[in-house]
Amino acid sequence: MQAPVEQRWSPYADNGGTCMGVAGEDFVVVAADTRLSQGYSIHTRNCSKVTQLTDKCVIASCGMKSDAITLHKHLKARMVMYEHQHRRQPSVTAIAQMLSTTLYYKRFFPYYTFNVLCGVDDEGKGAVYNYDAIGNMERVPYTTSGSGSALVMSVLDAQIAKSNQTIATPSLDKAGIVELCKDVLSSVGERDIHTGDYAEIFLIDAAGISKTEFDLKLD
Amino acid sequence: MSGLMEYNGSAIVAMTGENCVGIAADTRHGIRQLQTVSCNRQKTFQVTDQCFVGLAGLATDVQTLSQLLNFRMKLFTLREERKMQPRMIGNMISSMLYEKRFGPWFTEPVVAGLDDNHKPFVCAFDFIGCLSTAEDFVVSGTTSEQLFGVCESFWRPGMNKDELFETLSQCLLSGVDRDCLAGWGGVVHVITPDEIITKKLKGRMD
Amino acid sequence: MDLLGAPKRGMFRDFAGTGAAGLPNGCDSISEARFALPAVQDPATFVETHFSPGTYEDNGKRVKFSKGTTTLAFKFKGGVIVSVDSRASQGSYIGSQTVKKVIEINPYLLGTMAGGAADCLFWERNLGMQCRIFELRNKERISVAAASKLLANTMNSYKGMGLSMGTMITGWDKKGPQLYYVDNDGTRLKADENKPYFCVGSGGTFAYGVLDTNWSFDLSDEEAIELGKRAIYHATYRDAYSGGVNNVYHVQENGWVQVYSDDTYKSHDKYSAEREAAANP
Repeated sequence: MQAPVEQRWSPYADNGGTCMGVAGEDFVVVAADTRLSQGYSIHTRNCSKVTQLTDKCVIASCGMKSDAITLHKHLKARMVMYEHQHRRQPSVTAIAQMLSTTLYYKRFFPYYTFNVLCGVDDEGKGAVYNYDAIGNMERVPYTTSGSGSALVMSVLDAQIAKSNQTIATPSLDKAGIVELCKDVLSSVGERDIHTGDYAEIFLIDAAGISKTEFDLKLD
Repeated sequence: MSGLMEYNGSAIVAMTGENCVGIAADTRHGIRQLQTVSCNRQKTFQVTDQCFVGLAGLATDVQTLSQLLNFRMKLFTLREERKMQPRMIGNMISSMLYEKRFGPWFTEPVVAGLDDNHKPFVCAFDFIGCLSTAEDFVVSGTTSEQLFGVCESFWRPGMNKDELFETLSQCLLSGVDRDCLAGWGGVVHVITPDEIITKKLKGRMD
Repeated sequence: MDLLGAPKRGMFRDFAGTGAAGLPNGCDSISEARFALPAVQDPATFVETHFSPGTYEDNGKRVKFSKGTTTLAFKFKGGVIVSVDSRASQGSYIGSQTVKKVIEINPYLLGTMAGGAADCLFWERNLGMQCRIFELRNKERISVAAASKLLANTMNSYKGMGLSMGTMITGWDKKGPQLYYVDNDGTRLKADENKPYFCVGSGGTFAYGVLDTNWSFDLSDEEAIELGKRAIYHATYRDAYSGGVNNVYHVQENGWVQVYSDDTYKSHDKYSAEREAAANP
């Protein structure tokens, strides 16, 4: 007799990729690669993980692309609704709390996304928020998420928080942080197969949002 | 991977420099992952005067394998009356691990040494003996992902012994600070043609 | 937000019949009618097997946050001391060393976090809202007993849905300092003379060891704060999944005060010197 067959449905996929956010005194830097992969195959080499929400705020999402698209679309709609109701754009802190509850309302069928929300807050300070899949959030000086996050985090600990260092060194300026992001993403591209191709770097400050791109390895 | 690899926790990294090579390991001994029983577990073993082996993984296998290695090294010296070169030690460990292909040692060794021409040699294995050599660095243990990240960023060619020590130490400490299962102090050995420099590191104790 | 169609709503309400989670006058709490559920026969079982913290993985790392934790709270003559670590782990990877595990529900109520971080964060925020509504309706502050009961009721109504939460609710009300333990099973325990303290999380056993030897009701404020720090330090030292910054709060008659916040690493030298001294008198 044949054994009973159990049918299972797996609603999630991991599309890989790495993103990171670093807050400065009056600016914030967001960097993410543009590879979209599943398992060992690369679906596309040029797919942005970052969506601009307001003039001062962007979100970067790793994890499952379809959930990220849905989430970003939902958030953009909420931005429009807020603007219509309040005649101004929501602050980064407000968006941060809204994202947390949005994710938690999907607690019983989560968005498989790991988000980094970055922007300049109402006091003009750089703000970086880190989320888990179901809406736990924390405001941090720097963070990372995605397939290469474990590789990035220790480097940021050493270069930005200067942990385990006894000799004081000056903290990085705007250009220094952008360079660091480039270096770190290139390093991650060497070891994490889901990260590579191209990287986007967003710099948000009082002047607005500027975007630069640079090449990672295509292998 | 099998849960036994994470049972005790470990972080090992080996790096090459200019005519020198270094190996660093954390010192935590945990059991059942979460409980820390001591902060002075030995994970690096000197096998010749110019070569160290680091053993990450299940503590009981690490102890047994280190004793077995010691025995093999002594037997070789008695028979051949010469020193084993790091590359040879690598090949020996590879076959020792593969001998247990169907009942393996739950350990992933790392070899770091200088050969007779003062050329640095580092290599790492999976737990059934697949040897992989590197020109720059190798890592092993529960912290390997974090260590890959920092080493890839901080390693550069042609480091002297002091630079190598600093880089190894910073990489180890930054790595284990993001791993629950490793840390609680560390030890660094830098092998140069004239001497072996061993230093203990004070790390976070949580 | 109803992404999965209206029919699931009815099914949902069976589990989330918390519309009036302890609220008088049948007030529907605003947030709860919006949870999206998967379109399957039995969402509760499905959700518990698939989406409880820890059942699905992110690149081999568990999505569940702060499974490892040490949080403690104890009563003494000067009120209540709450002391917590601040590590968030995903599997063995340390996600953060600076998580705020004490949630300031309002100026006279504190909650602690252990288990799923998002679960604690959301429901204790929700509790804060319910407490405020109570205040507006009744023109007086809610008692700690009632507040903890609201949370326990919410947990009870979501039983079997895979929520993960072990929390202590503490504050000072008409009857003096109060301390309650509430978890995702709906358990609600009151701290009294027989059990004046709770420790929650993987490092809890170590913290209990320190409290069992050193606690007394007649501790001075300074001694009590020191005991809170000591218990957390020893837990972070022995427990792999606890660590980071130690936050200590003191619940007083006029509300809570944060009395300490510093990296446990900085206390290591002090406590290890004590240990050395005890070993070699």
